[in-house]
This record gives sequence, C-alpha cells and structure tokens, in this order.
Amino acid sequence: NSHMYVCERLCSTEDCIPGTGTYLRHGYIFASLTGYVLRKNEGEELPVISVVRETETQLLPDVGAIVTCKVTSINPRFAKVHILYVGSTPLKDRFRGTIRKEDVRATEKDKVETYKSFRPGDIVLAKVISLGDVQSNYLLTTAENELGVVVAHSEAGAQMVPISWCEMQCPRTHAKEFRKVARVQPEYLQA
Amino acid sequence: MDTIHACFKDKIGEVLLPGDVFSFRLPESGDGSIKTDKIICGPGLRRNGEEVQVCKSGILRHKQPNMYWIDSQQRRYVPAKGESVIGIVTAKSGDIFKVDVGGSEQASLSYLAFEGATKRNRPNVQVGDLVYGQFTIANKDMEPELVCIDSCGRANGMGVFGADGLLFKLSLGLVRRLLAPQSEIVKDLEKIFPFELVVGMNGRVWVKAKTVQQTLIVTSLLESCENMTSQQRQTLFKRVAEGSL
Repeated sequence: NSHMYVCERLCSTEDCIPGTGTYLRHGYIFASLTGYVLRKNEGEELPVISVVRETETQLLPDVGAIVTCKVTSINPRFAKVHILYVGSTPLKDRFRGTIRKEDVRATEKDKVETYKSFRPGDIVLAKVISLGDVQSNYLLTTAENELGVVVAHSEAGAQMVPISWCEMQCPRTHAKEFRKVARVQPEYLQA
Repeated sequence: MDTIHACFKDKIGEVLLPGDVFSFRLPESGDGSIKTDKIICGPGLRRNGEEVQVCKSGILRHKQPNMYWIDSQQRRYVPAKGESVIGIVTAKSGDIFKVDVGGSEQASLSYLAFEGATKRNRPNVQVGDLVYGQFTIANKDMEPELVCIDSCGRANGMGVFGADGLLFKLSLGLVRRLLAPQSEIVKDLEKIFPFELVVGMNGRVWVKAKTVQQTLIVTSLLESCENMTSQQRQTLFKRVAEGSL
C-alpha cells in the first residue's frame, strides 16, 4: 500500500474500477484523497481501486452501544462528557456527549442532583440513546444498574471504593461521596 | 482512649500551620482490648490514613465532647450550601439574575425564587440592588445558586433590601462572631443608639441608622472591632456613647 497524494494519477479505466476516494477523468482514475491505495478483487472482472485516509475504519458510536466516557463539566441540568471507548475499542478522536438529568437514573428522575451523581474527572459507563443533530452532541443515558460511575477520585485525590449504588468511599480520608455507581458484572472485575 | 484526646489537648488554643500532623500510635496492650474513640474533624483538619493533618493555619479549638477544628482568619469568601449572604445584582439575563457574592464566580438567582413570585408576577429587582439570600447549590464544580425563599416558600427575612444605609466589608472571622447567638459586640453596640443591621456570611455588612453620621460611627466601630480585646472594645464604646449624648 503506497502513499498517494491528491490528484495523483492511479491507473487507467481499463485496469481497475474506481472506488471511494477516486474520480474518473479523461479515461484515467485519479485520487481525490491523500492516503493509502487499496486494490480489492470483489468478484467482478476488474479489481476496485480506492484511497482511504487510514487503513482501519473508524468505529462510530451507534444507538444502543455501551460507551466509556470521562465527565468534563457538570451543570444542574446535565453533565458533559468526552467519549473515549466504544465497547472495548479506543477512539482516536474524542466525541462529545451529554447526559441529561432525567437520564441519570431510572427511578425518581426529578429528585436527581447532578452533583451527587457525577463529578468532573469521573469515568462513566453509558449507553447511547441518540446521535443528536449537527450542533448537538451524542445523548447518553446511565439509567440502568450496570451503567454509571466506575472510576472516581475523591477530593483528597485517592481512587474511591464503591460501597453501594449511590455512595463511594475514599480509602485515605474515609470520607463518603455520592455518585451514581455502576454495578459491574463479577467476570469483568480484575483481582 | 485518652491517647487521642491527649494528643490534641496540648495544642488547644495554639497556632498551628498546614502540614502539622497528629499521629496516633495506639498502645499495644496485652489483653488486646483497644477502645477507640470517635473524634469529629471540623474545618481545617483532614484525616490521612492513620493521622490527622492540619490544612489551614489558625488556632485549634475544641468543643465537648469530641469536636476539633481550626479557627482561621480569612477575607476571601468561598460559597457553601446553606449560608446566608448579601449579594449585589449585576445583570438580568432571561429568567435569572446574576449576583456578585464575593466568590470566584457570580451566583445565579432565579426570578421565581422570591416570595409570591409567579411567571406573570415578576419581582421588582433592578441591577445594583442588594439581596439577602441562601445558597442551594454551592460547590467547586458548579456555578452557585441563590434563593430568597426557604423550603416552605416563605421569605423569612430574605429578598431585596437596602434603600438607604451603607454596605461595607469585614473579615469572615469577625462576621462569624457577630452572628453568634449571644454576640457581645452586637449587644454593646445596641446600647449606644438604635440601628438596622444585616450581616452576610460572605463578609458583607449593611448598616442603617437615623442619621448619616450615626451610620458612619457604627461602620467605623465595627471595622475597629477586628483586632481589639473585649476590654478595649467596651472602653471604646463607652467613650463613644458619652461623646454622642
């Protein structure tokens, strides 16, 4: 796979069929993207030639996917997060997500306080409910037992241990803090 | 066990600096019965595993039976939930007012958070007014929020005030002394002449007396109480009371 520059002539129409990232001009195939050349035999007479930016395709979060995200800021109405992992694959770019106050818990939605569910810097497991419009971010929810905060640091700086579905404790100062804690399945916990 | 209280007892009333540590080594008794006492660490003290660390400079105080804290002097106010403060309205944007409370961020005050306020009946608050309210949300991660009603919906002394009078700033320690239940400073001041006083926990105090001169006298008396012992204060107040009569 050689590196191509834009508008470089790849080959003539008689050799290959143009795929993504290429265009036809004067009977020849040119590259329209800067990237790597891929030749694939798809069962037709001629192979398909295409230019891609990266060899692996980006995995995008889809509706219903479980994502791992980090809380960046909180607000009485919602929490803003950066999506880091989709399932177990890390993302190259950070997508932005929003967890609304009503989507934090399944029960007693109006009594939720964002400050008692998340804090900036927490790592949260959430599920995508909507991709959002052009301007808005992914909409996420933690309204299930297995979703919520997995890793959090206390105000003293130590990593906290969960003690119930709504509390975590700091091992150094023994102070308890409120979070919406995820019930991680035993097989995913490492000793 | 007396060991815990004994560690603290020597230092009660002494000035401590951040970084001072109280470590408790429980004696190894042969019978294996170690009675552990509970102590409550107040502001300025923090537990770190097996020791208690001091994180603010000040004087160590003790309250029976087992509460210890550091009494520190500070002028910069940090908003805390439940505290009543005096704020200055700086902006009106949509449904909320932006109020300056002397902290790092301006607090937001919803126009519905006044007694008898509805969507049609808006409260009469202008930019530059003084408001006395309580914090419902106040932490380091979010913008603080003020309300001028209590949980039952009654004003309870909160809201817009201050048509006349003078607003000035005091240190937080002096303000806490003024707000104590049987404050001597306030009692001594009342004897000189009558006046109205609103004290906010963010160090702001508003005073109004019958004449401008009396208002200024009360202001300068309160400002001078900062570094005086009670003896000096009482002699000063007596001199002022005799002089004004």
